[in-house]
Amino acid sequence: MDNIAGHKSSLSWVVNISVVLLVALWMLPTVGLLVSSFRTADQISTSGWWRALAPSEQNIKIRAKGPDTQVQQGDLFVIEGQLFNETDAEISVWGISSRAIDDFAAGETAELKNGARLTVQADGAYRIEHSEEITGKRGQRIFVTATTPPEFTFDNYDLLLFQGDNTDSMGRAFISTLTVTIPATIIPIVVAAFAAYALAWMDFPGRALLIAFIVGLLVVPLQLALIPLLKLHLSIGIGKGYLGAWLAHTGFGLPLAIYLLRNYMVGLPRDIIENARVDGATEFQIFVKIILPLSFPALASFAIFQFLWTWNDLLVAKVFLIDSTGQTTVMTNRIVELLGTRGGNWEILATAAFVSIAVPLAVFFAMQKYLVRGLLAGSVK
Amino acid sequence: MHSKRFGKTLKVFQIAKECAHPGGVLPWEDDIMFSRYLLGAASAALVAGSASAADLTIFGPWLGPDEAQVQKVIDVFRADTGLDVAYVGSDSFEQQIMIDAEAGSAPNIAIFPQPGLAADMAARGFLTPLAEGTGDWVRDNYAAGQSWVDLGTYADKDGADNLYGFFYKVDVKSLVWYLPENFEDAGYEVPQTMEELKALTDQIVADGETPWCIGLGSGGATGWPATDWVEDMMLRTQSPDVYDQWVKNEISFDDPRVVAAIEEFGAFARKDDYVAGGANAVAATDFRDSPKGIFASPPQCYMHRQASFIPAFFPEGTEVGVDADFFYFPAYAEKDLGAPVLGAGTLWAITNDDPAAHQFIEFLKTPEAHHAWMEQKGFLTPHKGVDPEKFSDPTLRKMNEILLGATTFRFDGSDLMPGGVGAGSFWTGMVDYAGGKDAGAVATEIQNSWDALK
Amino acid sequence: MHPAILGLVTIAIGVGGCVGYFYLSNMVLDHVIFPARGPNAGKNINRANQIRPWLFLFPALFALCLYLAYPVVETLRLSLTDRDAGGAFVGLANYTQMMSEAKFWEAMRNNMLWLIVVPALSTAFGLLAAQLTDRIRWGNLAKSLIFMPMAISFVGAAVIWKLVYDARPAGTDQIGILNAVYIWMTGAEPQTWLTLPFWNSFFLMAVLVWIQTGFAMVILSAALRGIPEETVEAAIVDGAGPMQIFFKIKVPQIKSTIMVVWTTITLVVLKVFDIVFAMTNGQWETQVLANYMYDKLFRSNDWGVGSASAMVIMLLVLPILIWNVRNARQEMR
Repeated sequence: MDNIAGHKSSLSWVVNISVVLLVALWMLPTVGLLVSSFRTADQISTSGWWRALAPSEQNIKIRAKGPDTQVQQGDLFVIEGQLFNETDAEISVWGISSRAIDDFAAGETAELKNGARLTVQADGAYRIEHSEEITGKRGQRIFVTATTPPEFTFDNYDLLLFQGDNTDSMGRAFISTLTVTIPATIIPIVVAAFAAYALAWMDFPGRALLIAFIVGLLVVPLQLALIPLLKLHLSIGIGKGYLGAWLAHTGFGLPLAIYLLRNYMVGLPRDIIENARVDGATEFQIFVKIILPLSFPALASFAIFQFLWTWNDLLVAKVFLIDSTGQTTVMTNRIVELLGTRGGNWEILATAAFVSIAVPLAVFFAMQKYLVRGLLAGSVK
Repeated sequence: MHSKRFGKTLKVFQIAKECAHPGGVLPWEDDIMFSRYLLGAASAALVAGSASAADLTIFGPWLGPDEAQVQKVIDVFRADTGLDVAYVGSDSFEQQIMIDAEAGSAPNIAIFPQPGLAADMAARGFLTPLAEGTGDWVRDNYAAGQSWVDLGTYADKDGADNLYGFFYKVDVKSLVWYLPENFEDAGYEVPQTMEELKALTDQIVADGETPWCIGLGSGGATGWPATDWVEDMMLRTQSPDVYDQWVKNEISFDDPRVVAAIEEFGAFARKDDYVAGGANAVAATDFRDSPKGIFASPPQCYMHRQASFIPAFFPEGTEVGVDADFFYFPAYAEKDLGAPVLGAGTLWAITNDDPAAHQFIEFLKTPEAHHAWMEQKGFLTPHKGVDPEKFSDPTLRKMNEILLGATTFRFDGSDLMPGGVGAGSFWTGMVDYAGGKDAGAVATEIQNSWDALK
Repeated sequence: MHPAILGLVTIAIGVGGCVGYFYLSNMVLDHVIFPARGPNAGKNINRANQIRPWLFLFPALFALCLYLAYPVVETLRLSLTDRDAGGAFVGLANYTQMMSEAKFWEAMRNNMLWLIVVPALSTAFGLLAAQLTDRIRWGNLAKSLIFMPMAISFVGAAVIWKLVYDARPAGTDQIGILNAVYIWMTGAEPQTWLTLPFWNSFFLMAVLVWIQTGFAMVILSAALRGIPEETVEAAIVDGAGPMQIFFKIKVPQIKSTIMVVWTTITLVVLKVFDIVFAMTNGQWETQVLANYMYDKLFRSNDWGVGSASAMVIMLLVLPILIWNVRNARQEMR
């Protein structure tokens, strides 16, 4: 079509650039979070992630060593030290009062209140000199404005994933989420497959009505079901827990499963099934040995849908699963908690968010084809 | 003959199957696998049924550094008794505990920050009365013991009063935190009266700096720090009787005296110059993050009004009493209401009866249980039998003295109000107020919600 | 019981149970109740085939009725009772109480706003993305990247966008992109975007649009590809420009797909809970119905009003339900 009209290359340039812009706009937020998860807390709080590769300027307050470390050099009492132990930062200006943090340039000398003299070099080395013994309990506070080189680290991930005792640990939430997701994905498939086959290939009165019923149920918002189902679970003794969550997810996922699978099964070649029937196979055999294998793409589509849906779910987990024993939690809930307790610690928040979306993203990229196919089933008219 | 033809059909579709699912036998096609499968499932079920859970479960509001501290206390119990105790914290404790009690999955012990909520639960029959003699013990061993017994006694489903709550960990709330060195650098003096405090606030603004750091954020409990402000202002502008009437709703929430107290809070929090980040940031900043402004370089603010538990959230390495200190949130010199102190505490109640739970409450009576947290940060106790030397820093000793020596001591009002108000509309109303809503309108809404609960 | 083991056991029981049920019930039907032997063989086979569909359908129907159909009825019933009065029937008292609350109307207003803005923007962006990416060589990669947010949980998206909207005090460096761009472009003070009344709802909507655009794009892209080439070629021959082709020829042909996309996104919008819950929890006038319902249910423990608000959500969804069912039945014929 493009060739016929003799498309100008400039138009295709415009299209390419606009797509680049569109994609960049869509990727920007996620990239921002990803970059942040590799930065240190100080760096995140002082410069935006787009400046991650540039040195960042920070205002730091450091306490010099205390008077108990002073040594006598000749007739001077001296406290010497280094403000930075790990990073090689460069000090531009510094000060000794919270009111004036940029009084002195690097290399200059300040006169302290007790008469001592303090010199701070650009690399963080400092020296306090006094003609008498330095008194006091605590070291002198030094306010520096330093430029630190960009620092990237895996510490955040380490803290979140491997330090099991840590109250921020995500390991348990990960296993817990997996425990909720896998049964909640597998069981609806089994139940729905049989029902879909009946609706697709068996003729019986009321079939059309049932299909309409299921299409209707597709639309019912799950909020409607929360209160009655919680009451039901409480009254029959399931209470809150994994079993309740699995049953709930199964129930909520069935309409979509039946719909997707039925739509696919209807498209299977009629002759194979008819021939099998004529050949004397029972319906059960036909279903197990013919329909199921042939429906694999649809099964895979729904499996991915359901997996993503249950993995990313928050509401069903909060209502049916999470109780106060702490044994049950899901990653989405951990993140909501972290948003509250660590709302200012972007390094933890970003890392936690990424850990939680890593699995769905991996599944998504690996199985995109099936996901798209599932979406398209019944949507394009 | 039938099966032969079926076999042919089968062949045709095997090819089709290969296209759909290349390679491999599907599990349900292999009969031997299938039966082994079922057998394995059955035996796993039998084995798994015998696994055990924790001996004692405790659910509380503490997360993060606070959680680490309570774990150390529970460690002492674990070491003493060898029981397996699980503690879980949640930001939405107030909602979660209700649901769990109804669901029958309540923990053995729940730590309530709010007596009002505990009273609600007792009235619904979800709490177990504490062992006989606990009330007498508290009367004898706690300073102002009778008040602590009163605060923990509620009516059960039939209206009979029982002691349900044991107080462990008390907080003093009328404190303002600051950095003495910063005050020194700037030449400020610690204010002794409310008039001086307001003058200092204006002075700091005039100097081009920001005086206050205020943060209301707290997950599902967002807004509670503002209720503390309002209660403190209430105690400083009205007599304690009016405060008591307000808490019991004997005077309406939109009484002009209450609205005036709300507006006193607004005088600090609603002016963009007076609070770090501007008025809009107040409700958006988490209460655990907001004190950091005092420690920033250059300081983002100079003062932070908050309860005695906040040092747990100060930057690591902060020496309380030296680096960061507090002064009493002063009262008006001209109003002649003395030196009122607002405080609160957490009460530990049994929500799922178990001998281990009663054992734990007994443990909480021992001085060791109190020492375990005294050695950490942000803990106060009315227990008369503890050794004050065990406090981790002198400020806690100072605070404990304030606690024991106040002319007027009142428990946090929102914690005494019924859950729907004290853990609901009062919190959200204050967030609305911080965002610019009219004080009178907010108060009326809260009163309406209180009426709806009756 | 260790939850992982419980999970495996459940899978085993669930799958094994289902398969066992089907196998056994079919066997019982075919060999015991209506054996395909003897004098009544033919009639038996017929009867067996009449009953069989219901065997296949039974577990699914049971689950559906219990988990979706029954709750609708039960919620309706609950909305007419008062929990504190022991479940007594109170008629429409819950509804009147709900409608007298300012928060409820705020939620309704916000939901209306969401319903108008989000499907429209998502569909528009999706259409744009579909059209553009179809014409370039690396279109599939671009589509993947735009579609990617659909795999992320709403809570994850909330965290991502909270970083975008972050505000630091004036004078310090901003770490949120929006504020950085805003200051760079206008030089004004940084805004706390999520607390600005009225506009904060739009900032929340941006998150959902970001997620749903990929969905719209995928579906509309398939639809666009389904347009017969001759109609487009004929238009080009007639001298129509690309814009005219797009709006006057392509869009009308995919109208029904646009409707499907629009209604599906509408359903998602009505259910949106996580985004508002994680980012503002309904504060600063961002309350939506799903969040309001959760609040009533779990904070105020008021199941009556909570159910009433759930019924309101159901009411809003009803038109789509009827439309979908009608379409399905038409397809059947």
